[in-house]
Amino acid sequence: MVNILLAFLTGLTTGGLSCLAVQGGLLASSLAGQIEKDLQNSPPAAHKQSRKNPPPRSKPQLAKPILVFLLAKLIAYTVLGLLLGWAGRVLQLSPYTRAFLLIAIGIFMLGSALRMLNVHPIFRYFAFEPPAALRRWLRRKAGSSADSPLLTPALLGALTVLIPCGVTQVMMAAALATGDPLQSAALMFAFTLGTSPLFFAVAYFTTQIGARLERYFMRFVAIVVLILAIITIDSGIALAGSPVSLTRWFNQQLTGNLQPSLVEFQPPEDAETSSQVITIQVQNYGYEPALIRARADVPTRLRLISKDVYSCALAFTVPSLGIQELLKPTGITEIEIPPQQEGSRLTFSCSMGMYGGVILFEDV
Amino acid sequence: MKKKITLQIQGMECPNCAMKLESIEDRLKGVLLAEASYHKALLTVEYQEELISEEAIRAEIARLGYQAV
Repeated sequence: MVNILLAFLTGLTTGGLSCLAVQGGLLASSLAGQIEKDLQNSPPAAHKQSRKNPPPRSKPQLAKPILVFLLAKLIAYTVLGLLLGWAGRVLQLSPYTRAFLLIAIGIFMLGSALRMLNVHPIFRYFAFEPPAALRRWLRRKAGSSADSPLLTPALLGALTVLIPCGVTQVMMAAALATGDPLQSAALMFAFTLGTSPLFFAVAYFTTQIGARLERYFMRFVAIVVLILAIITIDSGIALAGSPVSLTRWFNQQLTGNLQPSLVEFQPPEDAETSSQVITIQVQNYGYEPALIRARADVPTRLRLISKDVYSCALAFTVPSLGIQELLKPTGITEIEIPPQQEGSRLTFSCSMGMYGGVILFEDV
Repeated sequence: MKKKITLQIQGMECPNCAMKLESIEDRLKGVLLAEASYHKALLTVEYQEELISEEAIRAEIARLGYQAV
C-alpha cells in the first residue's frame, strides 16, 4: 500500500514532468485533429489570421480529447503493469540485458529529441509512422465522428507505452520486480494516475495559449528529452559496469560528496574462516561507502542496511555476478559473494545505474 | 484521365502531419489517393485531371500549412 501511494506521489511530481517531456509530442499530435477541426469551424476571416492570432477555443472541446488521451494512457499502462508483473514472475531480466535496453531506449530518445529540433531529416526515422492503411482507417474513423475526433487521442494515449520516460522506466523495473501481476498493475495505475494532473494542466493551458507557444513548448520538450536521453544512456553504461558515470558524478555533486573516500578493510567476521562482511548503508541518494577495500580470495558477505529508502537504490545489482536484489525500504539484506581474485574490481549499482560504487579486492 | 504526382513537402514536423496531408483524399473532389511519408517528406497524389488540377492540390496543401516544393 505504501509502495502504491509512493508510486502515485512519484507520478505527481517527477514522473509528471519527465513523462510530459517524452510523451508531450504524442499528446500534442493527438490534439491536432481537434484543433484543426476548431479552425475549420471558425469563420474564414479568423482562419486567415489563425497562425498569428488563433481564435479562442471552447473549453470542453479540448478538455475531452486530453481526457481521452489520459484515460487511454492509464488503461494501457495498467495493462502493461499486469504484463510486467507476469513477466517478472516468469523471467528476470539480467542487469546486462537491462543495461542494453536502457542504452537502446536512450538512443531512441536522443534521435527523437534531434528530430524534434529538426537537426537533420535522417532523425525523422526515429518517429513511428503507422502504415498508410492504418492511417487511412484512423482518419476515416476520426472523420466519421460528428463532434470530435477522439479515436486519435485514444490510440496515441495507448501508444505512450512505447515511449516510457526515465521515471516510468524506473517504475516499470519496480513493477517487474514485484513478480505479482496485480501488485504490478496497481503500481503502474497509481503512477500513471499521478502523472495525469500535470499532463492535463500543461496540455490544456498550452493549447489555450496558442500555436506560437506550442512551438516553444515542443522545443522545450525536445531539450528535456535530449537531457533525459543522455541520462538514460549514461545509466545504461553505468549499469553495464562502467566505473565512470555522469549520473553518479552529478549525484555526488548534489550530495556534496565530491570524492568518495576509500573505506579501509572491515574486520573479518570469523577469524577461522577469514570470511569478511562488508556493510553498506543504502540511502535515498546512493550507497555509503561507495568505494570499498576488501580482502581478496575470501568469501564475502555484503550486508545492505536500508532505513526509509524509497529511491531506486533499493534495486541493488552486481552486474558481473548477475546479482539483483530488491531490498526492503527498511531492513537488512545479506548477499553472499564468492572469493574474488586480487586486483579485481566489483562494481555495484542500482538497477537504473544512477547510484553505485566499487569494491576493490586486495591482498593483505 | 488519371494522373499521379509526387511532391516534396516542407513543414512536416511529426507523423501526424502525414495524416493531415492525406486528408485531402477525403476533402478534394477528384483526388483518388493521397499517401504521405513523414520519414521521406513526400506526398504522392493520384487524381482525375478532368476534376481537379495540380495547382488546386498545391493550394490545398498550402492552406493546411505546408509547402509543396
